[in-house]
Amino acid sequence: MIELQGITKVYRTGSQSLEALRGVSLNIGKGEFVSIMGPSGSGKSTLMNIIGCLDTPTAGEYVLDSSKVAGLTFDQLAAVRNRKIGFVFQNFNLLPYATAWENIELPMLFDGKNGRRRRERVTELLNAVGLLDWRDHRPTELSGGQQQRIALARALANDPPILLADEPTGNLDSKSGEEIMAILTELWREGRTIVMVTHNDHIAAHSERTIRLFDGQILP
Amino acid sequence: MIGIFFRNLFRDLVRQPLRTALTLSGVVWGTFSVVLLLAFGASVSKAQIKRFHGMGQGIVLVFPSRTTLPWQGFLKGKAVRVTPETVEAMPEKVPSIELISPEFVGSRLIRYGRNEYRNTVRGVNPGFELMRNTIAAKGRFIDPEDMAARKRVCFIGDVLATDLFGTEEPVGEAVFIDGVPFLVVGVMRTKLQSSNYNGQRDERCAFIPWTTYSSLYGAKYVSNIIFRPRDLGRSKAVMEDVKGHLAKLVGFSPADPDALGVWDTLDFEKQFTTFFLAFTVFLGVIGSFTLLVGGIGVASIMRIVVEERTREIGVKLAVGARRRTILWQFFSESLVIMLFGGLVGFGLSAGVLQAAKAFPAGGFTDFVGVPVLNPMVIVSTVLILLAIGVVAGMIPARTAASTDPIEALRK
Repeated sequence: MIELQGITKVYRTGSQSLEALRGVSLNIGKGEFVSIMGPSGSGKSTLMNIIGCLDTPTAGEYVLDSSKVAGLTFDQLAAVRNRKIGFVFQNFNLLPYATAWENIELPMLFDGKNGRRRRERVTELLNAVGLLDWRDHRPTELSGGQQQRIALARALANDPPILLADEPTGNLDSKSGEEIMAILTELWREGRTIVMVTHNDHIAAHSERTIRLFDGQILP
Repeated sequence: MIGIFFRNLFRDLVRQPLRTALTLSGVVWGTFSVVLLLAFGASVSKAQIKRFHGMGQGIVLVFPSRTTLPWQGFLKGKAVRVTPETVEAMPEKVPSIELISPEFVGSRLIRYGRNEYRNTVRGVNPGFELMRNTIAAKGRFIDPEDMAARKRVCFIGDVLATDLFGTEEPVGEAVFIDGVPFLVVGVMRTKLQSSNYNGQRDERCAFIPWTTYSSLYGAKYVSNIIFRPRDLGRSKAVMEDVKGHLAKLVGFSPADPDALGVWDTLDFEKQFTTFFLAFTVFLGVIGSFTLLVGGIGVASIMRIVVEERTREIGVKLAVGARRRTILWQFFSESLVIMLFGGLVGFGLSAGVLQAAKAFPAGGFTDFVGVPVLNPMVIVSTVLILLAIGVVAGMIPARTAASTDPIEALRK
């Protein structure tokens, strides 16, 4: 599903250059649940951004769902993110002025889905995360756990095969965190590929495989 | 989809009502200025040209003068003398003349009852009416029959009519011009006249057939000639022909620059029209700068909005928005502010122009006219508004669309 071959990422700021990733090769199969761990500055976020098609590698090959990602334009990458990848962020990243419903609907709008399909899908997702009664509430009126559940529903809107979760429980109390992990585990059981960044060994224990990054390289 | 687009647009605009209102006010004021200045410029031009047409439309005036070059044995300084018969015969020689009239001018006593005034009397032919816009409000102008029979009839200016007759009906009455009775056959329609020559303005003149004038007063040579070319654009060439023929018939050098005084109102009008066009454009430019300031207001506010919403943009890009979608979101927001402001500005200026119509005619409005929302004003304003709106909207929208999603999400 996700094939990374010798991925290098170099950030240049003026005359200085920083090597965030140094030849990372990684294969994640379809339906795998992988967690990525490592200290700050180890390149976790950069790796997630590259996997999530938000960033492009300086060197190396990236094949996503058997198609090459290198050389795609920004808008083509946007389409890949829209249909194949669902993002879950540590700080939820919901639109503050939009209702729960509108937040979930957003990826479908960018995909040009029609009104009836959007309504059906949003209703289905709100039901799945148990927040149908909260459909007209704004993020500020929801608890952290509820916000993350809305964010999860948004990530699933276009039914992507891959979910990328960046510290999904980082801003939550342990009870809400467990709820989110339960949903993620459930989604994995249904056959979705899940890649999660975490600091927490306890959270990482939910995954099948843990990859440890250090200084831009994968530790054996 | 469209519904969602407008709902979000509206929500974004009312989120900061004061800021939106202040931004709007700049655009409103700018549009208001553009409309009013353009309308004012157009109405002043129109009023001035109308006043200029008061003397006549599409005419060339020729004033016989003195020679300034010796010619065939005559020394320079010889008077150029043109008879009315020569003038009447001109169209045969110069077919590109549409209308031509000789004109005698004299100052005479005109009396009706106990009212007596010394006013200008002009001896002309029927073609004069169209050339000089002396249109009859009552009765008629001098006709060919009057000419042939040398009738003692007169057509009088509206002010002269009031001076002589007060509220009485002049047509059909007799007035005495230098003691000789003349039948009043018509009264001129009131007109504005900014230019004139030889004597009083038409509103105070009496017009009589030139045949009557010459036989009664013994005048042989015309004061001036007035003609209208068939092709108004060729007045200069036609004048050259007229001059050539007069030179031959009357006896002066065709090269003499000053034997005939010429007032080509067509040429004058061209300059006049160009001047007023430039005047209107100048006003429009001043207005546009005001609107430009409004546009700059929109652009800078939108930059702040984009800055504030970087995170939102980042989220949208992350979940699959294309750059174009983001561009359009912010562009349409600016454009809506511009167009809505423009609409309000239009409304306000239409109100002011409506109120201006209440000014009584005459005096002030004779000079500046009544400014109205004509198609020229509307089209120009909309174009200026759109041009400024597109530029003012594009700059912040491009900034928004070029947001780096990674940077934006990190904030």
